[in-house]
Amino acid sequence: MRRRLNEAIVFVAGVAMLAVPAVVTDRYVLKVLTFVGLNTIVVIGLALLFGYAGQVSLGHAAFFGIGAYTSARLVMSFGLPWVLSVVGAAVVAALAGWAVAVPGLRLRGHYLAMATLGFNEIMSVAFVEARPVTGGNDGLGGVPFPSFGSFELKTPSALFVLVWAVALLVWLAARNIVRSRPGRAMRALHCTEPGALASGVDVAAVKVRVFALSAGLAGLAGALFAHSVGFISPSSFGLDLSVLLVAAVVLGGRESLSGPIVAMAVLTLLQYLGALLPGLPRQAAEAIQDWVPDIVGATLIAVLIARARGGAPVRAKEALGRGAR
Amino acid sequence: MSLLSVRGLDKRFGGVHAVRDLSFDVHPQTVKALIGPNGAGKSTVFNLLTGFDRPDAGSASFDGTELVGMPPHRIVRAGVARTFQESRLFETMTVEENVLVGMHHRLKTTFADAAMRTPRVVREEREAREQALHAMRVVGLEPFKDTLASDLPHGIRRLVEIARALATDPRLVLLDEPAAGLDGRETQELAEALLRIRDTGVTLLVVEHDMGLVMEISDEIVVVDQGRKIAEGPPRIIQKDPAVIEAYLGEVVDGV
Amino acid sequence: MTSADVLQFVASGLQNGAIYALVALGFTLVFASTGIINFAQGEFYMLGGMLVAAGVAAGVPLGVSVAGAVVITSAVGCLIERAVLRPVRSAGPLALIIITIGCSMLLKSWIRHLFGPDERAVPPFSGSEPVALAGALIQPQVLWVLGITVVAAAGLTVLYRWTRLGLAMRACSISHDAARIVGIDTARVVMLSFGLSGALGALAGAVVAPITQTAYDVGARMGLKGFAAAVLGGLGDPVGAIVGGLVLGLLESGAVAVVSGTYKDAVALVVLLLVLVLRPQGIIGRHLGEKL
Repeated sequence: MRRRLNEAIVFVAGVAMLAVPAVVTDRYVLKVLTFVGLNTIVVIGLALLFGYAGQVSLGHAAFFGIGAYTSARLVMSFGLPWVLSVVGAAVVAALAGWAVAVPGLRLRGHYLAMATLGFNEIMSVAFVEARPVTGGNDGLGGVPFPSFGSFELKTPSALFVLVWAVALLVWLAARNIVRSRPGRAMRALHCTEPGALASGVDVAAVKVRVFALSAGLAGLAGALFAHSVGFISPSSFGLDLSVLLVAAVVLGGRESLSGPIVAMAVLTLLQYLGALLPGLPRQAAEAIQDWVPDIVGATLIAVLIARARGGAPVRAKEALGRGAR
Repeated sequence: MSLLSVRGLDKRFGGVHAVRDLSFDVHPQTVKALIGPNGAGKSTVFNLLTGFDRPDAGSASFDGTELVGMPPHRIVRAGVARTFQESRLFETMTVEENVLVGMHHRLKTTFADAAMRTPRVVREEREAREQALHAMRVVGLEPFKDTLASDLPHGIRRLVEIARALATDPRLVLLDEPAAGLDGRETQELAEALLRIRDTGVTLLVVEHDMGLVMEISDEIVVVDQGRKIAEGPPRIIQKDPAVIEAYLGEVVDGV
Repeated sequence: MTSADVLQFVASGLQNGAIYALVALGFTLVFASTGIINFAQGEFYMLGGMLVAAGVAAGVPLGVSVAGAVVITSAVGCLIERAVLRPVRSAGPLALIIITIGCSMLLKSWIRHLFGPDERAVPPFSGSEPVALAGALIQPQVLWVLGITVVAAAGLTVLYRWTRLGLAMRACSISHDAARIVGIDTARVVMLSFGLSGALGALAGAVVAPITQTAYDVGARMGLKGFAAAVLGGLGDPVGAIVGGLVLGLLESGAVAVVSGTYKDAVALVVLLLVLVLRPQGIIGRHLGEKL
């Protein structure tokens, strides 16, 4: 019952987001809220992978980056129409996810975390060093705006609506997935792999698929990011983002979409809080931004300790890493 | 005609010879019990037959299909389900959802179908829930349909494992100590449920320590000790077998 | 390529490798006694370098700065164990990972608040006049790195083999329950292994800072490379950690010599992924990975 209510709230909030540009005209605010939408797409993917299937990835920023560079290159070097390039980017990111997931099947817990972290670092090196493709540390500028034929989406409000419409669709799709056969299989293998196998679930196949799906969603968001911002550079795809995403899923709770979405929105907004609150002195704004990692780190530690000690409500008690085997 | 025919099954773990040249048959629509003292290798036999472990030698032919070498989920699809000694329920899911996972291989919804929630998915879900209800009824789980597995009392948990196994639409179910931790009344209910299941045409292979239960429900018993078969036959013969009595040496004499 | 060039590459490989070895030892000590992989291990390395830089900048003699950095970081290690990990000992491995990630975010951020985001330089321990060695020119600091690594490894061996604490640590790495039965204070051993791993990480960071410079954000990459070295040598095995570190350093500098320096930083990470995937025995075992 509470779950349905939660989801209803998220749905209404999601639809309401689409109407935001009618009220908000500040370009900067719209841009920040567009980032929130992009991060929503990525965190939904990670919630499926980590929150539902229990497979940690500290490499999602890399898939986000792969999507961004792929889509930018497909349009700029190969002249693909925007829609195809975004789809292509999502597919390439999904394939990258698949390539990480297949060998990753042999790893669990700590080792999967370290391996995906290592993958993120490798990609960070590659984004810097593969200058002909990525532009290196100088970045890649002049990425064209999204367009359908000759119709270009270039105002902040149009980009906002595009990103949030995609985010809403992704959320609906994810919600449908977790409520039916594949979602049950994901949750089952998170609880106990032998139990899932004994129920006829091809655990390895489900893990690989959800990893690819999750990476594909990160790639999709990355592609949208590249075209909305017009400029991409390696610093957008580093470990910090991967860690922030994992933090959002942990804080948002196991087997939840709305939790991680809200957590990621808060974490994203924190970074821009200063500029979003009108009348906040510049110094205060900068101080808040400066202390974001402290806030996130301390919250993570506090929440996990509280959960481990059983001080949290029932659903939260089932949080990540505490699932029964 | 046997449904499952095990031949020369052998397994060592380091220096321990857990299963030695074990052969036996399970006939269709019967209950066969696999008994023996603690550490006789019974659970190992289950793991070998269900793909959770690989034997060093031997074969297990299920209605003409070789089970050895198949991964666990394929063995389930071939029609052999199992339960675990230590329950492995999906704790964050309701009883109904646990049973629905058991139906996984009978449903067709892929990630893409599910994402779009096509009319076919909606229909399949509805039908699946009806069938799950049926599986829950067989073992009397209906009242717990929407209870989270983590909130269930012990006795009910065993039944969920069985219902989940039945949901895979098996022809053979391997039950690993289904009565462990149950009280007298619960054990009696379990016995009745198992016989009902047999009467629906499902064959059972049961590892069990409760000799009262074993004698009540089994059509045939195979006794193993230190991985080796020491006796096989109907309950009344096994009860009197000197080798069996010696192997148990009082451990269950009162039960026998 | 002349033999002097080869020597140059070997020297630089050994220098990097020695640092990886020290960081790897930190991972291994904590893993052996707790089964935890400490994602904040790289930050100990960062702390070592940054604290020395800060000490020197404040006029504290170099030797005192190094000692201070090691002691402070060691205390931080103990504190992390005592304050945030011990209360959740029974939590699953994922929760422990996330907690150490939280610690790593905090340490990194605090150092940035205290000392700013800029790169910091540390003066070499004994001048910057290169030493000629068989035709190659070697920075004296490289000799310091190698020397200190050897001393640390020797000290650790003595500690492990011949002291009561070492015996207790080895006992804990086999079984906490058994160790407790024979009267070992396992909680203390676990805390001290965090302290020791903090000291090793800080030592590595302090001694290499004059060569590489340092900044608040150097921890993550070094943490990954140190972990790669630890896994290469077999996680939980101190000798393996040292060998793994040196091998990794030589591999890196070999790759630079043969191919190019462009992807130098990726070498260790690729090795990490390959080892994790290809040599799963002993590294994916549940009983090891989820011991505590």
